[in-house]
Amino acid sequence: MQNATTVSAQSEPQFAALVDAIAADPDRRGQLTDLLREDHPFYHERGAATIVRMRGWVLLAIARTGVSDAALIFVLEELDTGIDAYLVAAAARALRSYPHPTENLAPFVMRALATIRYRDEPVSFENYGEYAVSSTGTTPVRELLATLAWLGPHARGVLRELESLRARSSGLPRKLRIDIDRAVQAIRGADQVEELGSDTCCTPPGGPRNTAYWPLNSRCGVETIEAAVFEDHQGDLVTFKEFFRGQPSIVVFFYTRCGNPMKCSLTVTKLARIQKLLEAQGLADRIHTAAITYDPAFDLPERLHVYGRDRGVRMNARHRLLRATDGMDLLCAHFKLGVNFIESLVNRHRVEAYILDVEGRVAVSFERIHLDEQQIVTRAIEVLKEKESCSRIRAQRID
Amino acid sequence: MVTKRKAATSSKSANKNNKNAATKRSARSALSVGTNTRRTAKERIAALAEAPLAVCESDKDLQAMLNVLRNQDEPVEVRLAALKSLQAASFSVIAFESCRGDYLATLRQVAEDPNPELRQRALGLLARKKDGFAQKKLLEGLKNPDKALVPPEKALQLLSYDVHAEAYSAARAIVNKPPNDDARREALRLLAADASAAPLFEKLLLDKNELREIRQIAASALHALKPEKLQEHAREILLDKSDYDDIKATSLTALTQFGDEALGKDKALLKSVDRFSVGKALSKYKQSARRFLSKYGQ
Repeated sequence: MQNATTVSAQSEPQFAALVDAIAADPDRRGQLTDLLREDHPFYHERGAATIVRMRGWVLLAIARTGVSDAALIFVLEELDTGIDAYLVAAAARALRSYPHPTENLAPFVMRALATIRYRDEPVSFENYGEYAVSSTGTTPVRELLATLAWLGPHARGVLRELESLRARSSGLPRKLRIDIDRAVQAIRGADQVEELGSDTCCTPPGGPRNTAYWPLNSRCGVETIEAAVFEDHQGDLVTFKEFFRGQPSIVVFFYTRCGNPMKCSLTVTKLARIQKLLEAQGLADRIHTAAITYDPAFDLPERLHVYGRDRGVRMNARHRLLRATDGMDLLCAHFKLGVNFIESLVNRHRVEAYILDVEGRVAVSFERIHLDEQQIVTRAIEVLKEKESCSRIRAQRID
Repeated sequence: MVTKRKAATSSKSANKNNKNAATKRSARSALSVGTNTRRTAKERIAALAEAPLAVCESDKDLQAMLNVLRNQDEPVEVRLAALKSLQAASFSVIAFESCRGDYLATLRQVAEDPNPELRQRALGLLARKKDGFAQKKLLEGLKNPDKALVPPEKALQLLSYDVHAEAYSAARAIVNKPPNDDARREALRLLAADASAAPLFEKLLLDKNELREIRQIAASALHALKPEKLQEHAREILLDKSDYDDIKATSLTALTQFGDEALGKDKALLKSVDRFSVGKALSKYKQSARRFLSKYGQ
């Protein structure tokens, strides 16, 4: 990788030229996926709108060269949580270059359609950084409908939902009728329906990969972060070691100034649901939960408290909203967070949650696409059981 | 009985439908007057005010309205009335769904119109939607005044709608070398959301030679960014008889919200706040003093 300072100093036209050069070289195309990582030095010290232009251009390059399995998660992430018209349109277009259309892609497209329909606007894909000043071009809704048509019979699971978009009162605008009809017709593709059967043969195992698990012996240590100090929603200070060692923990990241309701606000709301699930199983005292802000300079205890309270988060000594008092560097390094900054302000981040083991080491991570509360609790219980089985083995050895 | 009630209900609903249809009809005829170049400007402006309901009725109507807005040969006041009408229509998010794309594209065109008022209005509407095009143009104008579409103070105000707009460095440059007082004030307002600007605001707050309005902005910003710093200085400000009432009121709010019990034992402070609560200050400021006294006073 190039030097971080050199990379972040490059101008937008230089970046666009680099993306085009990578896309043109079959041996380097894998680097396009790398450019979608939020923590890439290219995105350091850039504004949010600039990052939209840059990532959009990468997605469009991927649309030309073909989405790989590794890039698929980034494309689906944009459809799942994106609210920017340009990025969602680019992601929808990119998805159509994936070589294995399958039925588990359709719900992502449909979700994006539901989110973006009231934010639909003309977008321009012709030149880097161009904004549409006429409505003759494409829009995210048009791109999404074209992607449903591309999925064809693989999207039959969302057919009813799509048909409801033709309704007079709650449907999409009349001028999109042709696009909807085309998608419906392609999905119905009657002759192929029977042949499809189970179409998961070419999907990455377990669907798009948003979860990673580290076996006990491969987890990174916590030496570098143990002494890190946090301030919680009440203004109480606690170190990483004090809060995260001794029991498993579920950790999510967020910041109160996040403008995307599909990301931080939803993540913290889901944390509240996770707490309820833990409580229902009598585990609220055995598994800690924490929501850590990406924006510790601004998210003071009062703001953390109000943000958590408004989303139903249970807050006490075992369940806290935290800000790192010495900044984000240690946390970014330890969790390998998918976030970048312009000065102290977040300019782009992914959705991410972690399960830490009894030593505070990352055991499981969930990233980019929607967090499933039940799945997180199930995995946390597995990590809790690790602790019990380790204690048993230790006890047997002593005997 | 049931039949009677049913009949009454159906007649009520028929009346409602008729009313709606009549309203829509009149909105459509208003729109056709508003977009008719043979009518006087006065007639058209009055008609356009009644047209929002009809804007999205048909693509033809929408295009006619957008044409009025973007046509530089039309009288400016009629174009402004068309913009107002479209803006009113856009509040009905669902009804406006089919018009949104054309509307935004047109706003982006008008953002570079030769008429400064139209430009500013269009940029204002786009900036509220956190539009990347508008932000790019506004930032370009701040960096290169020859390209500016609006005065710097307006650009900063519009950029402040989006905390992620990449405007902090431009605002800092303006604070260091302000083209005018208004631009400096707006730059400071924008920086009030920048956590790293707390030391700047602390310095401004303590500078008694600074403009009153600027010190008030500094006090509010410090209250949001580093409340403990404002508390540190709040006592001195409250004890200083010569300081401004609004700055004292902000200091009182900081102490009331974040202060500790020791304040109740600070006789000099309590006396000073008591004096403030019955003095010549505006009643809203006196109210702040009373809130403080009810928390810490005897």
